[in-house]
Amino acid sequence: MSLSKKRLFLGATALAAAAALVLTGCSSDGSSGNSSGGATTITLFNGSVGNFTENFNPLLSTGAELQPSQGVLYETLFYYNMARAQKPVPVLGTAYSWNADGTQLTITTRSGVTWTDGQPFTAKDVAFTFTLFQKNPGLNTTGATWTATATNDNTVVLTFPSTSFTLEPQLLGNMAMVPEHIWSKIADPAKETNTSPVGTGPYKLKSFSAQSYVLTRNPTYWGTGDEAPKVENVRYISLANADAATSALESGQIDWMGSYLPTLKNIIKQHPNLSYVNTPDSVTDIVACSNAALGCTGPQTDPAVRQAIYYAMDRTQLNTQAVAGFAEPASAALLVPSVNGDNIVDQANASLPQTADVAKAKSVLEAAGWKLGGNGYYSKGGQELDLSVNVVTGWTDYDTDCTLLQGQLKPAGIKLSVNQVAQNAWSQAEVSGKFQLSLNSINPGASPSPYFIYNNYLSTSNTAKAGESATTNVSRYSNPTVDAAIKDVASTNDPAKQKVDYGVIQAQIVKDMPYIPIYVNQALTQFNNSRATGWPTQDNLYAFPEPWKAWDNGIVLKAIRPAKG
Amino acid sequence: MRFYLQKVLFYVVALWFAVTLNFLIPRLMPGNPVDVLISKMGAAGQPVTPATRKALEIQLGTGGGGNWFGQYGQYLNDLIHGNLGVSLVNYPATVTHVIGQALPWTIALIGLSTVIAFLLGVGLGMFAGWRRGSWLDNLIPATTVLQAVPYFWLALILVLFLTRWHQWFPYAGGYDVASTMPGVSLRFVGSAIYYGFLPACTIVISSIGGWMLGMRNMMVATLSEDYVVAAEAKGLRPRRVRLTYAARNAVLPSLSGFAISLGFVVAGSIVTEQVFSYPGVGQLLWTSVSNNDYALMQGIFLVISLSVLAANLIVDLLYALIDPRTRARA
Repeated sequence: MSLSKKRLFLGATALAAAAALVLTGCSSDGSSGNSSGGATTITLFNGSVGNFTENFNPLLSTGAELQPSQGVLYETLFYYNMARAQKPVPVLGTAYSWNADGTQLTITTRSGVTWTDGQPFTAKDVAFTFTLFQKNPGLNTTGATWTATATNDNTVVLTFPSTSFTLEPQLLGNMAMVPEHIWSKIADPAKETNTSPVGTGPYKLKSFSAQSYVLTRNPTYWGTGDEAPKVENVRYISLANADAATSALESGQIDWMGSYLPTLKNIIKQHPNLSYVNTPDSVTDIVACSNAALGCTGPQTDPAVRQAIYYAMDRTQLNTQAVAGFAEPASAALLVPSVNGDNIVDQANASLPQTADVAKAKSVLEAAGWKLGGNGYYSKGGQELDLSVNVVTGWTDYDTDCTLLQGQLKPAGIKLSVNQVAQNAWSQAEVSGKFQLSLNSINPGASPSPYFIYNNYLSTSNTAKAGESATTNVSRYSNPTVDAAIKDVASTNDPAKQKVDYGVIQAQIVKDMPYIPIYVNQALTQFNNSRATGWPTQDNLYAFPEPWKAWDNGIVLKAIRPAKG
Repeated sequence: MRFYLQKVLFYVVALWFAVTLNFLIPRLMPGNPVDVLISKMGAAGQPVTPATRKALEIQLGTGGGGNWFGQYGQYLNDLIHGNLGVSLVNYPATVTHVIGQALPWTIALIGLSTVIAFLLGVGLGMFAGWRRGSWLDNLIPATTVLQAVPYFWLALILVLFLTRWHQWFPYAGGYDVASTMPGVSLRFVGSAIYYGFLPACTIVISSIGGWMLGMRNMMVATLSEDYVVAAEAKGLRPRRVRLTYAARNAVLPSLSGFAISLGFVVAGSIVTEQVFSYPGVGQLLWTSVSNNDYALMQGIFLVISLSVLAANLIVDLLYALIDPRTRARA
């Protein structure tokens, strides 16, 4: 390169760099407005990270579908509120009834509903959708079989080969209804990305880009008055972490989000427009690989050890230090008292000891033959009471719980080592049964009914030998009495009869304690009331308020209204 | 000619090695995508039953898959056809599509700031070496201190000062989603530059010290060479001596370092993109790893290894042009 060319090259780069600097300087007064043309736009953050991939297929369950597909763009027949005890709310269905032996479900569908492309919604669409799930095993997460027929424009009959009362919330409350005239032409519904969604929901798609998409009010929505959407636009954004979400909330750029923020009470105090709701979510517990007969190894296979941990922990300290006091007391029945209090049969099981009872823990261990050694820890048959608990690194509340538990169990002669692992390894250890204790939570199923919790977490049919994959019952718990009672619950839809069975189950798990409950983990949701009001409150949980919750989302979005005018 | 053939052969072997490692590493990770998905669904309050696992395995096609040899053959075959597979997290979107969405952001942000840091660092280093003991020379310890400070800490401090205490810059995102849409418009480009300014600053601040120090030291060494003394003795203008005699020779080691860092540009910076919620490849890599999305991980690793190899190849070839000595010796 000759000298003059070189000089030119350097000069050009300098010029380019200078130009870039000038450009950035000029644009640094970038305006940030949140309304377009006077119409109210609210912004919500549902935990999405990175770029959005356009996919509005409401039939999927892989999480690849953008979350408003389920509940906001498309609707179910009924809505099941997980936040409080409440009857299913009619959405696209208006009534349903079972025959006596639970093999036939008759559904009345709503009339006067149209799809966003103007075609009428009828019972034929409903029958088509149910058959679509049936024909595609990849979409049918229930694994059950049925036939669906529309007997007239407003009635659909589902017929099952055996008693199927327990399928009700999955079918009615967890399956999005799609239009037959569009989906009958789609060859493989599981691979469909459905980029121009046609649904019945309160909102429809307005614009999409990889970093944000906007829904706008559906002018032909079936609901009127309180049931009609009132806020014009809803914008979805993605952020990488809770710090960015906190910034967004404090600067007033987000109207609805659900993140655990330890300093939430302070933030609310400083910003009068903000409010929050604390909703019972799941029961945080220590899962024990409890069943030696199915291959679990370690001291925790002795029920006395699990009982001792139950008594030795100081739940008040765990609540204040791990989750800033946001948790609520759980029940020994593994149910959330504020949602399922009526289904806890023996009131003795409705609460948990909130402080440590070391003497009781020790006496339980000694009664089971454990001997206190010179080093302050119990042992039995040469085996020291030395346990390890798995917890996901970075789940700070769980990590704090484990560190505290280590100290709390020591006075009771129980040695606990904390094993912080990545989420993949943690979940694999649980599923394959290669763990001793693991910190996790007990999540509700398709409806608040205790059946789903007990069936998922306790029934023998949902477990497997250690070394094989267990579906949901990772503690390897197996008890014929409990299995029989669960089966009995499924055979009826009479709440009184079911409650008797729940009593039987609860008596067994309080004794066996395969899951040691700690507290009810609360989901925190934050709202900004300056652009829209009518959000769920602590006293009026008309829906589970988290923005990431499918189906509930649509219920909340049609309940809120613009703050002014 | 032999020199170029040797180079190309070496890169073909390196490429095969990278591609094979890329196949193996994700498979050595614990867990599988269905388990991760099920625990997420449970946490999001969606019903999970034994049939759910089966349905998800069918949906994601992870049930069978044959042995590793079969998978390896399939993988190579797909690669040749440019098919990187389907991303599990974004099913049924293809890996190519998902990476394509993130790549421009990363290349623009990390690429530009790497180039700016290099040009500024080398330029300042040149002057610092030329005038040893001047104020510019004393700046070097300060910049190396900035480089020694943990990057995430520096970035978080800047975020706290400049986006929270003084709201001069946006705290997250690639552009203002409320006022503009991606496209060729002044408004979008302006917004993207404004949003990228702070993350770019942190990268420049934290990497400029290395370039400056390296260039300054090479400059000092080169200035004591006989040919520089000869040039000065000939009475050439200082500017000419500085640029064509000293700097041209002193910049060579920095140039190969620059090639390597350019290759890593597409890897993005996981930390930068996490701190600033920037929608690039680093964040995508993070998501794919935490969801056991093998196909996406492989795709990203492949793009990274390819660009590192390509950057090295180009510099190897360029080097032979700039510095004839390397060509002669080969």
